[in-house]
Amino acid sequence: MTDLYETAALIALLRRGDRPWHQEAALVEEAGSAAAVLSGEHVGPSEASTPQLFGATDRAAVDLPAVEGEVRQWEAEGMQVVSVLDDEYPENLRAVFNRPPLLFIRGELIVRDVRSVAIVGTRRASKAGETRAGAIARHMTEAGFTVLSGLAAGIDTASHRGALTAGGRTIAVLGTGLRRSYPASNAELQEEIAAQCAVVSQFWPDQPPTKTTFPRRNVTMSGLSLATVVVEASHTSGARMQARLALEHGRPVVLLDSLVEQHAWASSYAKRPGTYVISEPDEISGLIERLAFAEALSA
Amino acid sequence: MATVRELSEPYSAFMRNPLPPGAPGVCEVCLRFTDGSFPTCYPCGHRARYADAVLPLSYTGYDGQLYHVLAQYKRQRNQTVARQLRLQLAAVLWRFLDTHERCLGRAAGAGSRFDIVTTVPSSDAVRDEMHPLRSIVGELAGPTRDRFQRLLTRSTLEAEKRDVVAEKFAPSAELSGASVLLIDDTWVSGGSVQSAAGALKVAGSGAVGVLVFGRLIDQAYEDQGERLAALPKQFDWEPARSHARPDCVAQPLGRVAAAVISWISVEHQPSSRAVSWSRWGRRSCS
Repeated sequence: MTDLYETAALIALLRRGDRPWHQEAALVEEAGSAAAVLSGEHVGPSEASTPQLFGATDRAAVDLPAVEGEVRQWEAEGMQVVSVLDDEYPENLRAVFNRPPLLFIRGELIVRDVRSVAIVGTRRASKAGETRAGAIARHMTEAGFTVLSGLAAGIDTASHRGALTAGGRTIAVLGTGLRRSYPASNAELQEEIAAQCAVVSQFWPDQPPTKTTFPRRNVTMSGLSLATVVVEASHTSGARMQARLALEHGRPVVLLDSLVEQHAWASSYAKRPGTYVISEPDEISGLIERLAFAEALSA
Repeated sequence: MATVRELSEPYSAFMRNPLPPGAPGVCEVCLRFTDGSFPTCYPCGHRARYADAVLPLSYTGYDGQLYHVLAQYKRQRNQTVARQLRLQLAAVLWRFLDTHERCLGRAAGAGSRFDIVTTVPSSDAVRDEMHPLRSIVGELAGPTRDRFQRLLTRSTLEAEKRDVVAEKFAPSAELSGASVLLIDDTWVSGGSVQSAAGALKVAGSGAVGVLVFGRLIDQAYEDQGERLAALPKQFDWEPARSHARPDCVAQPLGRVAAAVISWISVEHQPSSRAVSWSRWGRRSCS
């Protein structure tokens, strides 16, 4: 259950900006209460020895009822506000260290979405790349997975569309707030995904796209997914960054052999532990099934 | 079924190999970074040291994926996710012990294999009844499960978490000289691990070797954070470099570490330290 008072306290804490957001998430989760962190009653492990970080006067003036009003307003607009303190917070995401403390959701996340896989790649995709992305999305849908992507042009769009066409679930993880659409040409797709599945954002609803929002979004997308599949991406692509983040999360990264043949970054990533190179879409589901739902270990 | 290698592999990205014990600026007991004035860090130098050798698999800060995993495998409410984290940690333990149990065993004076494996109980007696570390060591990890025994429980003695007091833990068996591999998830100050090692000795154990997943580094304290950040970013599972005990001189880096250490012990340290170094010997892991 979402606790409105705690959600408001968390929002006030994030706005105050004492620490990086993922550290706030860790602290709030550890305390089991955002209000306790906001009041200074609970501090971080390495802050215990330096408690005078913020003066008592700074802590005072937070109008929590007003913040509660804002949350109600967002909810009236059809946005669900989920914090790390809520049971509804996605469990895959909870298992990564730099998870966002707060998520805004249009549509609905369901229990089955724990079986999520991110399919990512370049905005300027080739026809062949888009076809591959669509085929992988279809295959993952048939294997009972939810397809995550970033709602960008190119590979992202092909992945979302592939899952929708196959009658599966797809989730868009935005690099903007939920009130925005980027690119504008995908506003309709965003609506469609929100109506059928879920659109997720870790940003305030009016947040415009910036240089830092997309990398932060990639952290969230990797965290929500059991694995990240990179279809087609140059070395400057955000997809490459997501591959790196997924490895830092200890989540498998799947690279298409066509990508590895074309790009030096991908062939160097292919040698890193935790990276798998595949040639056929239907190899992916078995691999992820084995790694993410292992029952036991063998030497 | 997933293999040990497959499940442990992704951890290479965020595990950090410890520096050799007693290398310049490294505590010879717990491998914490020091300013080099003393052979040990302050806590290790000012309390009882019952463990015969200590080996962390990795350093970890109060941030980052390893720290998070070491908290989440106990706290995570979703059983599927919790189970996966436990399997992964078991795979990491399995892979590490396959190669390095003999290194820790020799360093502790227990030979190449410990007789019994046990874990440090939780400081909370109620929580300890369901401690997932026991499931990792006693059920999931191949090298330890057949030798696992629950030897210790938290006693009713009131004591500070950081203090080393053997009576914090009550042994359940008479150990009559058996060597024990004592496993814990994290080493903060070593208070509970050293206390548990003490309790094993009280129960009559032979050599006690300690293995912890994460040796916590307080990044906010002096230059600890910078020194943690300066470590190689890719974990190395290979014998010599994975923990660079001077035992493992088969690999180049091990040899360098051994040379540095002998230089310190012979040229620059009181003779009592040279004696303690000789215990590590110069043997190969393989």
